[in-house]
Amino acid sequence: MSFETLSQTVIKGDMQAAAELTRKALDDGADAQQILDQGLIAAMDVVGRKFAEGAMFVPQMLRSAKTMQQCVEVLKPHFQGAGMTTKGTIILGTVKGDLHDIGKNLVAMMLEGAGFRIVDLGVDVSPAAFVEAVAKENGQIVGMSALLSTTMPAMAETITALTTAGHRETVKIMIGGAPVTADYATSVGADCYAPDAGSAVTEAKRLLDV
Amino acid sequence: MQLPTVPTHQPRLKVFDRRQALAVHSAALEILEKFGVQMAHAGARDLLLANGARLYDEYWVRIPAHMAEAALRSAPRQILLYNQMGERAMALRDDHFYFGTGSDTTFTLDLESGQRRPCVLADTGRFARLVDALPNLSFAMSMSNPRDVPNMDFIYVQAFAEMVRNTNKPMVFIADRLEDMALIHQIACAVAGGEEALRRKPFLLNYSEAISPLRFPENVVDKLIFCARKEVPICLPSGSNAGGGAPITLAGAMALGIAENLAGLVIHQLTQPGAPFLFGPNVSALDMKSAVVSYGCPEWSLTQAALADMRDELYGLPIWSFAGATDAKTVDAQAGAEAMFSITTAMLSRCNLIHDVGYLEYGSTSSLEMVTLADELIGMARHFTAGIPVNPATLALDALERVKDAGAKGIFLTDDHTFDHFESALFLPDLLDRSRYDTWQAAGGPDLYRRSNDKVRRILAEHNPAPEKEAALLQQINQLLEAAR
Repeated sequence: MSFETLSQTVIKGDMQAAAELTRKALDDGADAQQILDQGLIAAMDVVGRKFAEGAMFVPQMLRSAKTMQQCVEVLKPHFQGAGMTTKGTIILGTVKGDLHDIGKNLVAMMLEGAGFRIVDLGVDVSPAAFVEAVAKENGQIVGMSALLSTTMPAMAETITALTTAGHRETVKIMIGGAPVTADYATSVGADCYAPDAGSAVTEAKRLLDV
Repeated sequence: MQLPTVPTHQPRLKVFDRRQALAVHSAALEILEKFGVQMAHAGARDLLLANGARLYDEYWVRIPAHMAEAALRSAPRQILLYNQMGERAMALRDDHFYFGTGSDTTFTLDLESGQRRPCVLADTGRFARLVDALPNLSFAMSMSNPRDVPNMDFIYVQAFAEMVRNTNKPMVFIADRLEDMALIHQIACAVAGGEEALRRKPFLLNYSEAISPLRFPENVVDKLIFCARKEVPICLPSGSNAGGGAPITLAGAMALGIAENLAGLVIHQLTQPGAPFLFGPNVSALDMKSAVVSYGCPEWSLTQAALADMRDELYGLPIWSFAGATDAKTVDAQAGAEAMFSITTAMLSRCNLIHDVGYLEYGSTSSLEMVTLADELIGMARHFTAGIPVNPATLALDALERVKDAGAKGIFLTDDHTFDHFESALFLPDLLDRSRYDTWQAAGGPDLYRRSNDKVRRILAEHNPAPEKEAALLQQINQLLEAAR
């Protein structure tokens, strides 16, 4: 079964039509995981690529992500066995002392669109809260954001806390935000630096080899 | 013959008429009444509630219009800033405009290599010294987030002290929270000769930010209240950028930003009626491809011009604004075009305190060359904005008569009238090149970046603030910095 029309509808961001096409595909006997992988995530791959090339604007990209999420809601009751298979679980948050979240929210939308499961801890997230979430949610990547130079040191604190709790070997760490640089990421022992939402997706895929 | 002397009209830009100004103001008041703000600061919350605001949900406070109107009435219409010698330097009011640099860039263009690299404390000093020397820049900001300070928690204290060492001009400073703000205030008191002297003749203004939409973190409100009590002038924009913290349409983004500014002003004026508050919400736009806040877009210039009209029509309070910045990564044609656009429009709309001069890369990188180039662009715009004086001396019929009478040898260039007036009549560029081709080529064909770089090097080699800071003061500052290690 081809999901080309569904993909095109997701790329266009037509939420109503995409949800209907998803329902129809289920009615026609398609497998939920197959619809997700070949229809929705495939569409978001195209969206991600077009966005990276500058051929799509942020609101269009986010509309596609929103359209995909709505289709996922339609699919959810229909997954077999263990449920939906994702590319991995990412714990996201703005670090302790920092309340800025526009950039972090963009990253969350993009990663979700690319097929990752996102646990968004919000803003002002303490190192302890990151550690707890990694354990509880079985997180494979921790993504930290900071807008202020004065809150950047909380990234290092969080990495130390993850190490102390014994998670550092099993979890990858990605950081970003206006004052953050690739050098800073290296200096605090993060696995990578993502300058924007698009590269966060590329880096997450690379880190988990998916 | 009697030639006329008439007042000189100085060109002005108008974006909002009175009805638009009133409509945006009304929307801002409606935002405060309907949604209010999320006030994390318990003291400020109590203060608001005791004066007529209403609490709902967790920490959300609705603020009735009369509280905002009362704050607008009690805030002063003029903020006087002095230089560090206690001389009057900036009268922020009405149509007075002053340009200066910006804060907090992560990177700077290295003067030697031209490469983008992380900022260090010496960069803060270099930018302050450059501002001290340039004629069209009236105040200094740090222009950098130095990475080589002993304790990142006190980064702003170190930057402030470094600026004091390198300029005598007024300063706009950043602080993170009450603790470093208090330390900066102590240093400022030492410079001014005591707390009372600083209160009487402030040489500094704090820049703090709430968070759009409608969020007031505790540390930010701490700083606001501290400044009100000490009468340190402050501005509190929120970054209600179109498409980011605020609606994509500029009217909505302005209404939100103004509502947030008014909420800050209410707390400020309830804390200390008559304390100086610089108005202005900072409404730029998020770029729809990169999601960065643009520093070269026409929208920011448009909203601050509209805000200047709101000042004239309604508020009467001096305003905070930006210009002379760019999204370009190097000092290139885009940088020049964007910087000149915002400089000219900010000046023509008579914004009062205009910062961020010399920013590259949407405020992530600073450049000494860009600051120097922008200083010249400001001079050029200033010349335009002064208009054309019309009087007997400028109509110059007597000069014409002399040249006519001299017959074939007559030339205006040799006439005394030219000698007497050329420096005021014309803008005389320094960096912008009008030399003949051969002269330019003989000099190695330097482009504008190269010429700006040469000028920066010359200034930094030759210029020191005068008078120099006294050794006893510098020692006192060093002692205060012990607390910032």
